[in-house]
Amino acid sequence: MSAITFSIPTLETERLIMRAFCEDDIAFEKAFLASEDSRFVGGPMPPHRAWRSIAMVTGHWALRGFGLWALEDKETGQYVGRVGLWYPDGWIEREIGWTLMPHAWGKGLATEAAMASRAHAYDVLGWDTAISCIAPENTASKAVARRLGATFEKHYEEPEYGTTEIWRHPAPDALINGGMEAYA
Amino acid sequence: MLTNAPTLETERLILRSPVTGDAEAVIAFLMDEGRAKGFGYCSTRSDAWRWFALSVGHWHIHGYGYFTVVDKATEMPVGMVGIWNPEGWPEPELGWVVFDGAEGKGIAYEAAQRALQWAYDDLGFTTMTSQIVPTNTRSIALAERMGAHHESTYDNVHMGEEMLFRHLGAKAFKAGAVA
Repeated sequence: MSAITFSIPTLETERLIMRAFCEDDIAFEKAFLASEDSRFVGGPMPPHRAWRSIAMVTGHWALRGFGLWALEDKETGQYVGRVGLWYPDGWIEREIGWTLMPHAWGKGLATEAAMASRAHAYDVLGWDTAISCIAPENTASKAVARRLGATFEKHYEEPEYGTTEIWRHPAPDALINGGMEAYA
Repeated sequence: MLTNAPTLETERLILRSPVTGDAEAVIAFLMDEGRAKGFGYCSTRSDAWRWFALSVGHWHIHGYGYFTVVDKATEMPVGMVGIWNPEGWPEPELGWVVFDGAEGKGIAYEAAQRALQWAYDDLGFTTMTSQIVPTNTRSIALAERMGAHHESTYDNVHMGEEMLFRHLGAKAFKAGAVA
């Protein structure tokens, strides 16, 4: 057997463990992606397509060296969503993305995980900028972007998702302590 | 390496883990409608890249997946073979494809026999299927040449109508390999 030379780092925030996906997470994603709640992130979609999406998330880590983390609530151990760094072939630019399961909405968890993702991108991977792609009607997601200090830059016609808003994050040198102080 | 796939060998071929450098060969295959329509044709490059990424993820979820088949003589990727079992499949299957320019040399047969041996000897499967769209006469001929028989026809979530072929079971396959 040959050694796997890529690994998915585990990060920790105040309330979350950010880790590689495991099989149990896929059941949550299948239920979420089958519902109307997934309309801003490519859903609703049947379970066989949801499975492929999550398999693709793992392959993205292997091919790119970064990707989306599965989020686990420290207190309950429950899977609450996926947040991280995204750049599949054809994507406009390297992105910080967040998708939370409905039971985890409204607690600031997306902001918390996205901030840790951005710190990883800037401090560990050396990115000098990052965007977030957001559906124009997704007001909750835009509120997260604002809390992260990102600003609306332009509209973009994404070949698969259609009209998308591009939000630009502050550059690394504009952030102090990952932006926690400036934008808390 | 992108996966923990072993490296297997036949007379003319190496079966190894997909690597980043295989992406262009796989994408070219998936976007070739004539060649990929029985496998999962992708009309866009981004879809094809995503399939390659999910095929890597498949290894991590199941511990098996598609190998890249490399020609020992040229060291070039000439196809893919492996065990495939995404969500919605009725059973794991042995699958194979040959890239442009590599047909007619018995590569798929040689690679598929080795992958089936691996499934039985190393993964512990006792039975195996191949699920083939009815218009894919070349793959049907290969399945029959391997000793598989048409067991049923069903509606695959991803491919539509497919013929399920049942390969020789582990015992019969091993007996045949010895004989």
